[in-house]
Amino acid sequence: MTNDSAMDRLHSASGRLFIAAAAFLTLVVLAGFGLLAPASTPGQIFWVLASKSTLSSTLRLSVPIVLAALGGIFAEKSGIINIGLEGLLIISAFAAIFGADVTGSLWLGFLVGIVASTLLAGVFAAVCIEFRADQIIAGLAVWLIALGLAPFASQVFYGGPNTRSVGTFDTITVPTLADIPFFGALFDASPAVYIMFAAVAASWYVLNRTTFGRWVRAAGENPKALDTAGVDVSRVRYAAVLLSGVLSGMGGGALAINIGQFTGNGPTMVNGKGFIAIVAYLFGNYNPVGALLSTTLFAGLDAVQLRLQTADVIAVPDSLVQTIPFVAVIVVLALVGKTRLPEAAGEHYESGEE
Amino acid sequence: MSDDGPSQNGDDPPTPDSDDRWSQYRQRLIRLGQTSVGERVLIALSALVLSIVVGTVIVTVAGLMATCRSPVLTFGSTTLCYDPFYVFNRLFLGALGDPFVGGWSPLNAQFAATLRETTILVFTGLSVALAFRAGIFNIGTQGQLIVGALAAALTVLWAGSLVSGALALVLLIPLGLLAGAVGGGFYGAIPGALKAYADANEVITTIMLNFVAVRVTLYLVRNHFADPTSQATQTRTLPVEGQFPSILFDPRTDFSLLALLIALVFVGGVYYLLEHTAFGYDLRTAGIQPAAAEYGGVDSARTILTSLTLSGALGGIGGAVFVMMTLGKFQTGIPSYGFDGITVSILAGNNPIGAVFAALLFGVLKSGSNVVAFATNVPPQLVGVLRGLIILFVAMPEFFRIIGRRLSTREPDSQATATAGGGADD
Repeated sequence: MTNDSAMDRLHSASGRLFIAAAAFLTLVVLAGFGLLAPASTPGQIFWVLASKSTLSSTLRLSVPIVLAALGGIFAEKSGIINIGLEGLLIISAFAAIFGADVTGSLWLGFLVGIVASTLLAGVFAAVCIEFRADQIIAGLAVWLIALGLAPFASQVFYGGPNTRSVGTFDTITVPTLADIPFFGALFDASPAVYIMFAAVAASWYVLNRTTFGRWVRAAGENPKALDTAGVDVSRVRYAAVLLSGVLSGMGGGALAINIGQFTGNGPTMVNGKGFIAIVAYLFGNYNPVGALLSTTLFAGLDAVQLRLQTADVIAVPDSLVQTIPFVAVIVVLALVGKTRLPEAAGEHYESGEE
Repeated sequence: MSDDGPSQNGDDPPTPDSDDRWSQYRQRLIRLGQTSVGERVLIALSALVLSIVVGTVIVTVAGLMATCRSPVLTFGSTTLCYDPFYVFNRLFLGALGDPFVGGWSPLNAQFAATLRETTILVFTGLSVALAFRAGIFNIGTQGQLIVGALAAALTVLWAGSLVSGALALVLLIPLGLLAGAVGGGFYGAIPGALKAYADANEVITTIMLNFVAVRVTLYLVRNHFADPTSQATQTRTLPVEGQFPSILFDPRTDFSLLALLIALVFVGGVYYLLEHTAFGYDLRTAGIQPAAAEYGGVDSARTILTSLTLSGALGGIGGAVFVMMTLGKFQTGIPSYGFDGITVSILAGNNPIGAVFAALLFGVLKSGSNVVAFATNVPPQLVGVLRGLIILFVAMPEFFRIIGRRLSTREPDSQATATAGGGADD
């Protein structure tokens, strides 16, 4: 068994290295074309990649994925696999717009989104912890409930699956720094982007440097030891899952307010971002910074495909180009392979005292 | 397991009363088996009832918050826009074509629509159930259904241009089903291979492949196989010989008893495969005890690949039936039969025969939602909410056991049933 897991770790480590190297190499090759033959297709792609607006849309697209991934890290580290992140994003995206519409304030709407997502996460936590539901099935249920409820509510209040427009956050621009080529996008962004960076830093700190973080990790790795030390495992898990609701709620709210509207047709505007978030944190090895970096890869590909569609650089139909991020997720998952889950993830913990 | 099982009894010397004891154990085991099936049905029914209760609350709250021209109830300044009882009346009785009204015939159009939905849901339910029994979460039945549907449509269109008359009549439908199975099977084999040989989590890969399937079929139909006479993104209409004939029912209902019959044959087939073949045994063992299965010589990688391929094939056949019975062509924007299949399978406890009843229930919900949309102004997405709620409640049997235990401590008479129920879960 130990041999197996060592092999797995080697496999996933080499997979990660391989992806990083492949991405780097592709960039170098594209840069070469961009400098030597800027008119060629790869050259044009490089200049699309290197543009400030690509970075800025990468950051924008990263926000919901990174925040949901951070939530997923807390839940899974504590031993509860939260596959319902997609549902939390959907419900908070709708609730944020609805809240903003009713209160007239985008920030209050953002808060309403967080509350909605946290409530749904609380239901999920109760179902998993109190009633020992299968975590995967309960997570799927959370997703499907939100997938039904958000368009239902939109139909009730707005007469269609799409809500009315409520406006978007104003961007925060840092003078001078925003003029830097390419990286200037970092200083000319929606407040949600700064919230995302702050959340990554805070999550890293909480997980690795605080008592609560230690409890969360112990609840997932060795709940018995935590129990023996006198800490209530269930309460730690509740807190972690609720936290995943708060973080995902921020993600969903930011996603919707960024566009100013909730669209609920088909897979809704969330469109798989919650599932991509899961892969992002698996690929990032449960590290908040790792999750941010791997999200940049997926969101970056998404940003590039959006730009390529408008820039008309390559003659591939939109519907095929749109598959790029999804295919990238599959490829990454196949190369990383099995990730080392926390020891007790997915298992119900029964305290001896009951 | 807490009972002293027959294994302990094995060491006992064969005394005259040991036969008695054996039969006693056997009876107890049989009773245990019955309780657990009974319990599962009970949990499914309780989950359904509870979902409807929660659904009623949601409809009522929505009705209080919505604004409308003609509310059903008015108290002062608050108005109730939807009547939850009428909604569920329409949902269930409407789907059956109002059996309590005079002149009801089982051949009525709305009941035909219910059976039409049921037919497809049997396939998607079987697809999810087969994978589940192997311990695999196939969330990709939707994508497999889409790929199977397109494969069937293109194959029948192509073959229909080559043959005609009686030959087409006997050839096209089986060919379409086969194409659907191959298309869906291939699309199921992709996550199967990724899980078997690269350890890629199938929940994620199948969900991602759903997104890919929607976009690739959109591209193929729009850019290569579009019907030039139509505004919609769809293929040309299949030849009549390639569409399921409507037997007894009005052809306008797009329901074919033949297709339902084929679905039931597949139910029997999957049941037989799971319960009475060596492969089925391996598959179930791999699902319950993967380590034990591996130790017992089961090639787990191959079992994973085969079960996901078969599961995908079943979804693909569902897509073929959808194309050849319901639509008569392939059109983008396929309804979410694959996701409903997850609920059907979970509600049925992943049992192929149970899936028929669960599919019928879901057929009622899907066809009833159209009646609801027609008769009331409650959004038809309500069924989507119910779908999720049912899964959530079925997933927490412990909830019902706790309630059952509380009820039974209050009434000492029913204590016996509670202990039997408690014994079945360990």
